[in-house]
Parts: sequence; C-alpha cells; structure tokens
Amino acid sequence: MYDFFYNTNIGLVILTVAEALALLVPLLIGVAYLTYAERKVLAAMQMRKGPNVVGPFGLFQPFADAIKMVTKETIIPSGANRVLFLLAPMLTFMLAMLAWAVVPVNDGWVSADINVGILYLFAISSLGVYGIIIAGWASNSKYAFLGAMRSAAQMVSYEVSMGFVLVTVMLCVGSLNLSDIVRAQQHMWFCIPLFPMFIIFFISALAETNRSPFDLPEGESEIVAGFFVEYSSMSFGLFFLGEYANMILMSGMTAILFLGGWMGPFGLWPQLGVLWFILKICALLFVFLWVRATFPRYRYDQLMRLGWKVFLPFSLIWLVLTAGALMAFGWLPNA
Amino acid sequence: MVKVTIDGITVEVAAGSTILQAAEQAGVEIPRFCYHERLSIAGNCRMCLVEVEKAPPKPIASCGYPVAEGMVVHTDSPMVRNGRRGVMEFLLINHPLDCPICDQGGECDLQDQAMGYGMDHSRYAENKRAVPDKNLGPLVKTSMNRCIHCTRCIRFITEVAGVPDLGATARGEHMEVGTYVEKALGSELSGNIIDLCPVGALTSKPYAFVARPWELAKVDSVDVLDAVGTNIRIDARGPEVLRVLPRINEDVNEEWLGDKSRFAIDGLKRRRLDRPWVRENGKLRAATWTEAFDTIAAKLKPLKGEQIGAIAGDLCDAESMLALKDLFVSLGSTNLDCRQDGAKLDASRRDFYCFNTSISGIDEADAILIVGSNPRKEAPVLNARIRKRWASGGAVVGVIGDATNLTYPAAHLGAGPSVLKDLQSDSHDFAKVLAAAKKPMIIVGQGALARPDGSAVLAAAWRLAAHVGALSSEWHGFNVLHTAAARVGALDLGFVPGPNGKTLDSMLGGGVEFLWLLGADGFDASHIGAGTFVVYQGHHGDAGAHRADVILPGAAYTEKSGTYVNTEGRAQHGFKAVYAPGEAREDWTILRAFSAVIGKTLPYDTIDALRARLEQVNPVFGRVGFLPRFGCSDHTGPAGDPTVLSAAPFVSAVANYYQTDPISRASPTMAACVAAQAAPALAAE
Amino acid sequence: MAFIDRTARSLLLGELVSGMGLTLRYFFGRKATINYPYEKGPIGPRFKGEHALRRYPNGEERCIACKLCEAICPAQAITIEAEPRDDGSRRTTRYDIDMTKCIYCGLCEEACPVDAIVEGPNFEFATETREELLYNKDKLLENGDRWEPELARRLELDAPYR
Repeated sequence: MYDFFYNTNIGLVILTVAEALALLVPLLIGVAYLTYAERKVLAAMQMRKGPNVVGPFGLFQPFADAIKMVTKETIIPSGANRVLFLLAPMLTFMLAMLAWAVVPVNDGWVSADINVGILYLFAISSLGVYGIIIAGWASNSKYAFLGAMRSAAQMVSYEVSMGFVLVTVMLCVGSLNLSDIVRAQQHMWFCIPLFPMFIIFFISALAETNRSPFDLPEGESEIVAGFFVEYSSMSFGLFFLGEYANMILMSGMTAILFLGGWMGPFGLWPQLGVLWFILKICALLFVFLWVRATFPRYRYDQLMRLGWKVFLPFSLIWLVLTAGALMAFGWLPNA
Repeated sequence: MVKVTIDGITVEVAAGSTILQAAEQAGVEIPRFCYHERLSIAGNCRMCLVEVEKAPPKPIASCGYPVAEGMVVHTDSPMVRNGRRGVMEFLLINHPLDCPICDQGGECDLQDQAMGYGMDHSRYAENKRAVPDKNLGPLVKTSMNRCIHCTRCIRFITEVAGVPDLGATARGEHMEVGTYVEKALGSELSGNIIDLCPVGALTSKPYAFVARPWELAKVDSVDVLDAVGTNIRIDARGPEVLRVLPRINEDVNEEWLGDKSRFAIDGLKRRRLDRPWVRENGKLRAATWTEAFDTIAAKLKPLKGEQIGAIAGDLCDAESMLALKDLFVSLGSTNLDCRQDGAKLDASRRDFYCFNTSISGIDEADAILIVGSNPRKEAPVLNARIRKRWASGGAVVGVIGDATNLTYPAAHLGAGPSVLKDLQSDSHDFAKVLAAAKKPMIIVGQGALARPDGSAVLAAAWRLAAHVGALSSEWHGFNVLHTAAARVGALDLGFVPGPNGKTLDSMLGGGVEFLWLLGADGFDASHIGAGTFVVYQGHHGDAGAHRADVILPGAAYTEKSGTYVNTEGRAQHGFKAVYAPGEAREDWTILRAFSAVIGKTLPYDTIDALRARLEQVNPVFGRVGFLPRFGCSDHTGPAGDPTVLSAAPFVSAVANYYQTDPISRASPTMAACVAAQAAPALAAE
Repeated sequence: MAFIDRTARSLLLGELVSGMGLTLRYFFGRKATINYPYEKGPIGPRFKGEHALRRYPNGEERCIACKLCEAICPAQAITIEAEPRDDGSRRTTRYDIDMTKCIYCGLCEEACPVDAIVEGPNFEFATETREELLYNKDKLLENGDRWEPELARRLELDAPYR
C-alpha cells in the first residue's frame, strides 16, 4: 500500500490528486460559506437578519447563488480581447488555489513542504495582480481600466511593507519554511512580541485582497464595479471565488505567521491541530467582515499615504529595531 | 364738481354721484352685492357701509348716499369694519354651506367678500331657510336657497332687458325671487342675470357642474352669431369650449351678451366636419386632404374664369374671405357674392351699408325710425341700447314692419314701404317727429333689403334720412342693421360681383360650372344648378355641405384667429381658443394650401402677412377696435329708384332668434329654447 | 500632555477600535427585520397609501365633483369630469387618478370637504403593467368598499387633530 502510493507514478498521481482535493474541496465549501457568513455578519451589524429564506437559516443560499451564477449568460463585450478576457478570471482563481500548496494546516500536513514556502506564498499572492490588470485591460472599458490601475498601484504599495513584516518574522525564525515558522512560535505567538507588525500585516492583507476599506479597485461609487464591471456569469463567479479564497489564504498566512498556526494557545489541546488552524482562520475572517461593516472606504490619496508614509517607515524602523534587538541580546536563531 | 375726501384721497366728482362712485374714482374698493353701475340703485344688501364725518353717527350705505362738498368718508374705520362683519354674518345666516357643489364657487362675490370682510365663524345654530327652486327655462338654473336678495336679476330683466318677468314675492325672510307664475324667461338677454348674480343662485344650466373657473383657459374673442360684434371671452378646457362670457366694451355691448351667443356653443361639438369628403357616384366618401384638393384641381382646370364662382357665408372671418377672393381673382373670376339672403346692399360707398351712427351714438339720438327690422331678434344687445336710450327719456321710436314687442314702446307706423313715401312727403304724423328731432336715426334692417325692391327701399330710406336732416356734417343718422357677422367685412374687402361678375342669383341655377361655398349655408342649396360642381368649405354639416361634391373641413370662430367687422364697421380681432377638431384647419390656410396645388400660390404664409394684405385692400382693417365717427357731407344716395316700391309688408330677417346659423342649428340648448319659447309655461314643468 | 494623549490614541488605533466596538454592539443587538409578507410593521392612522373613494352608509357615493382635490393636486394626477346626474345632483362622470404621477402627499384628502377621496392603509398595490396604475372611478370606489372599515377607523382616530 505504502509502496503503491509513494513509489509508483500512478500512486503518486492519485495521492497528489487526493491531497489536492482534500485541501480544495473544503476550501471551496469554505469560500461558499464565507459569502454566506459575510452577508449574515453584515446584516447583523446593520440590524438586519440576512439571508434566511433558502433552507434552514438560509444555509442553502450559497448554493442558490452558485446555481444562479452558473446558469446566467456570459456576456463578452464587443470591444474586448476575448482570450485575455476569459483568461483573467481563470488566472485569478487558479493563483488563489495554487498558494495553498505550501500552507501547513497541521504539523506535517502540507502538500509541498518546501524550504522557501514563505517566498512562494509571497510570489503567488503578488501574481494575483496580473489577473486583475488583464481583466481591466481586456474589458476595453474605462471603468475596468481605472479599477485595474488602482489595483496594481495599491498591491505594489502594500507589498513593500508586507515584505518588511515578513522579513521581521523570518529574522525571528531563521527559516523560510512555513512549518518551521509555526514551530518557532511554540512558546510565544509572534503576535505578542511583534504586535505592531501583526497589525500592519493584517491591514496590508486587507489592502492586498482589495477588501474594504481598501476596495478602491471596485469602488462602486466612482467606477461602478472596477475591473470586473464587464464580467458576468461564471467568469464573474471565478473572480468572486478567487477574491474570497484569497481572503482565506491571507487569514491563513496571518494565522501561520503570528497566531501559531495549528497550535492552541498556551499549548492547549495540541491534538485538535487542524481545528485550531480553522478556528483561527475563521476568527480572522470575522475581523475581515467586521472591518467591512465598520469603516468607510479610503480616498485614493489616503490609501497611498498610509501605505508609503506610515506603514513603510514604521515597518522599516521596526525591522531595524527587531534586528538590532536580536543582535544585541544574542537572540538570533541558528546562531 | 364736488370735492370729496375718501380715506385721505381727495377727488373731484360730478355733483349727484354717490359715495360709492366717488370711491371708485379714488381707487378705494367698497364691497357691494346689490349695487351695479348699469342698474338702478336698490340699497338692500347693506354691504357698502361707510362712515361719513359730520353725518349722523351711524354706518351709511354708500351706494345710495349722494356726495356733498367737503365730505370726508372713511371706508376702513372700526365702525365700518364691524358693520360689514355684521352684515356679512346676517347674509350668511341663510346662505347654505354648499360651495363645493356650487357652480359659482371660485368666482363668487360672496365667497370673496366673506373671506375679505366676514367673520371666521358663525354664531347661528338654528336651521337655515329652505326655498323651492324656480324653473326659469332651459338656460338659467336656480338654487334659490343661495339667494341673498340683492335683486340685481330683477332690476336687470326689468330695466335693461325690458321683459319684467322676474319679481320678488313676500318680504323679510320669506322673500322669494321668481317669475310669479312658473314660466321660462322671455328675454333674449336672460343669460346676463347669471353674470350679475353675486352668488350661485342663478347659474348656467348647460354649464351646470361641468367645470371650475380655475380649470378654464380664457381667450378674448368676438361673437359672430349676430352682427353686433359683441366682445366675448371664450372659456375653454382642453379641446372643448365650455362657456362664453361677455367682455366689457362700452362702445359695443357694454357688458351684455345675447343668449344665442352665450349658449349656442354646444353646437360647436355637434355635426362638425372633421375631415375632407369627396362625392363619388352620388355618395360622400371620407378622403384625405390631397385627394380632396386633387379632385377640385382636376375639376377646376378646364374651366374659364366666368364659369366659376364663390359665395361667402355669414360667419366667415375677413382673412379667409380675402384669401378666397384673391384666389378667384387670380383664376380670372369676379363671380363673388357675400349677400346670401339677396339683400340689395350697395357696396359702392361704405356709409350705404354701415350702422353709421354707431351703437354708442344711439345714446344721443332723439328720434329713431326702424325700417323692416326687429332688433330684439336681430341684435338683442343693440336693442337693449335703444331701450336704454328710450328709458333715459326724450326719444321717440317708430317702426315700419312687424308690430312686435321690442321691449319698449314704439309707434307702429305701418307694415310696408308705402310708409316711407308718406314720411318723405310729410303726410305722416311721424314725419313731424323726425323733422323736429335734432339727431334722428333711421335703421334699415335686412328684412327691408332682402326683397326684390330692396335697392329701392335702401334708396328711399336714404332719401328720407336726407329729407329729415339725419345727414349732416356732425351727425350721420342713416344706419343699416346687419344680421350676419361677416357681411360688413365682406363688403369692405369687396366680396361682391366685379365688372361683369355674376351675383348670387345668377350663379345659382346653373350660372356657373363650379361653385365654392365658404361656410355658405344661408340660402336654399336646392337652387344650385344640378350640373354645378360644389365645393363646401366650412365647419358644420349643414345645408351647404349636403349639396357639396367636395367638403373641406374648416374652423369655427372659436378655433381660429380672425378679423370681424361688425354692423357699425368696427374691425375687431378674435383669438383662437381651441384647435379645430380632427383634420379641420383654419380656413385661410386651406385656401393657401389649395392655391399652391393649382399653381396660383397666394402671397401670404402667415396670418400677419394676410392681415397686411387686408389693410392694403381696405385700411379699415388696420383700425382694430377703434371706430371713427363721421358725419355725412355727400347726400348722393345709393343706386336704386326710391319710387318703385312694392306694397309687400316688411318681414324681419330673423324669424327664429335661437336658430339662425349652422352653429345654433346644431345646438341642443338652442333647440330647447325654441321649444320653451313656443310654450313658456309648459317648459317650466 | 494633550499631544501625548492624542499620539497615544492614534498609535493604539483608539478610534478604529471604538468604531469596531460600536458595530460589535449592533452585531449582538436586536434585529429590526420582520418576515414581511407574513408579518407587517405598524401603520399610523395618517399613513398615506392607496387611494379610495368612499360612500355614505346608504351606498350613495360621497364625491360631489367639487374638484378641490384636482385643483390642489401638486402632481396634477387627478382628472375629474362632472355633470348633473339624472336626479339633478352633482356627480362625477369621470374620476381618474394617475398613480404613477401621484406623490402621496395627502393634499387631496385634506381638501375634500366630504371625506370622499382618502388615502387608505394599503400599500401593496404593485401591478404588472403601467396601465393598471391608471385608476378610474370604478377602481377607486371598489377600493373604498373593500377598505371602508379601516378607512372609517383611521378617520375616526385622526379626527381630534383635524
């Protein structure tokens, strides 16, 4: 049995597919229910009830939405570049899925336990901007184009400070392997010593996923729906899935980098493992929604000012301070 | 002149005027119900109370109180205000609270003055008086609960209309206005009591509950149903003319309007021609304008000028008649006539066919001879003016023709033209009266002219006028009273046979191959020759349209801007109140369009260009509304031998006042009036 | 001191946190949503809903064609034509309200001297076609007959304040 799965090509393919399915099916269900949760949470914070008609407590609402979305007509604008127009949502969705290859959901539960996991993650999430730019350009619509330009500028700006945050974490861990990063938090989650970095990372994650209050690429009030204004039906659906999968991914990254991944607080119930991880992701997602219900959208200049004039210097200073402290007190790992 | 101070404004007024008249001069408004400047003073509503210094210390009814030198009057002192408030409270004691269903609502003197001068509440809790409504015939609707006993209606019908049908019975709270015995009002001016009534006791029956004053678009116009040229206001809502009210014009109608002109407007909605028709195989078929024009053009093409003719009707505006005349002149025809009734009018000089004394001139006349006319039926408003002249004393009226009740005593001198001879030879008693008169008037009606010896009668009447001194350099006492609103205008622009032109009689009976009738329904259409091709252009499917081979739908007087010249020769403009129904168009535009079809395009594209052409044809059309009065220096009489008079008695041109033209013949209200006149007591059932 | 206080608050994201606290309070608060077609919110006696023409208890229509509602209607949604009925009373032959023009201001109701035209409590009169919203006299009288108990009740409740 072991031989078949680990030493034959067919076995490896089956295993890989099974692993991917085991990861992606719960992920897609999670995405579906994230949309439901978003509507429920926003409703609750606005004194409403949210979807409650389809199924008990409206639990079948995501499926109703999915059926609706799939059965709708795909409209391709006459001036659009057809190939790129269809490629863009696929790219976005695929990248959102790809990133999960290196995410450790439990000790040792990871598809590809590579040494540069964090770099891979960072690279993949940065590639997401291409889907958006391609969509905006291929739509041949001024609103979509404006949305894409905003999105590109915004993602580039926030990746810089995000990078410094990651460097800070890596300094503390001494490894680029995500499982190592989690293990390094065995005694203390990084969110405590690196609290400001945690906050900067989380806020940057909001900006990176184009979530409120940094959802300028969509900006309904000025540019209709931003880069996906021309999209309909399942091509729109793929963007939608990609955006929510990215939200889960960013929550997962935050959990891994700062909240100790699959480990319970103070080492409690280590046997729960993956459930701790899911719980942390859910808590972070709730904060995503909570923020959306609370804050109004930034103006574009405010967004840029925050990214370049607050987060960048702050994270840089904190990086230097951290490095200095590690050097001064000899706390450098692997030293 | 007397100097009076009213609310600090000093004015000089004629001695003998009342305080109310003086206040009017000073521009101070005094509320009133019973007072009306054209009626006698009754002083019974007490609304016009004022305070006069150094007079008895009580409120004084200003309408009946003569002014005195140095009088100081206050119209807004606490005493006056209290007095008015009290009067208003008493008036409202028995006035029902039914403004929402009252047709006077919105234009009611009582409503307005109760708002302005009354109290905000009533202290009267007892039952209100109930009075049975009276039936005054098919025109005036009564609601006698609302009557405040101002007696304006009684005074009007007795003094102005001269038909003392109305009166008050009983007194105090039991006073009722009515006709003593139930009967329809016998006056041709009865509609004016609706305007006079300050409350909603007398309202218009055909207009009952139809509209509110604020819904109506108001357009100034001129009445065309008789030749007086009464100034009217047309009230229309959407495409419908809902009522006609008189406008004040001291020189023409004062503020009165005849019943036919006021109530015949429901005829404008019936029997209308709203699309062109073409006769094919003996039957009329609905057609388009192009088809109709092509049919006429094809018929007209082979005909020479002398083979075609045109007749203008009685309701036409001068613009369309001129367009028709220009069209026919360009086709080489002078076979034109406007005298449908065959009146032997002489168009060679204007004072041969005008009411030269003018209507306001009647007030100066001291002897009036009416020849072959019944002005009560032919021009009731003008008749009221004669009555007013008689009532003010010193004028004598004589009549040659029917011995009818003209609402004032008139000496009946005889029935036929022979009386003219007797008067000429001073062998008649009335000749002395005329001779003694400083300003004698002779009024010749259409009944005297529309007969074979008409031109002789015209000449005889002129000769008589010259004989009795009616023709002087200051005074022109020779008058022709017309019955058709279009007639004087047509004569002014020369719508009469030109040199070698055929008259109406010779055009009928096959005298022409092609006949264009412009609203001409006033003659017996069966006299038209069987082979004559007839085009009828007009607004009602009346006599002319039945005979026509092609019908062109035109506009009625409410639907076009037009110039009308009344019997005095006064040109007046009427304005368009509503659009003509269906495909009907303004008449001059039809003629202009047809002229282009046959390649004889008329040189005017706008009504202003056409009016400029009118003025060019006859400058009188440029003097709109204004009438200069001339004396007569040239005593040359009209054509006609004044001695060849027949013995036949004169008959009035208007036998039935209520139905004289296509509009009134189509009107159900006028039909009801005819029935009511035939049996006034029955109509009041 | 104020500077330190301000800076500290700013660094600790005080405003953001208090804002999030507010939304969190609402998250656990009572929900205002009702299950609409089955549950309905309360309606005051002055609610201005669908129009109705009322009748007297003996079945006689109240409207006397005074046209005050037509005159006061700021949207000019009302069209009335009137003539004497066979018994001589003043009645409408046409009473149309264009519900697509109506702005539900209630001035018609206030102008009416006989409480004939009223705006009732019904707000559920959506239609599939525009034409159905051009109400005529029959439709308005039918509304009056259907809603009379409610209409009478709300007039009674509002009467003391008129």
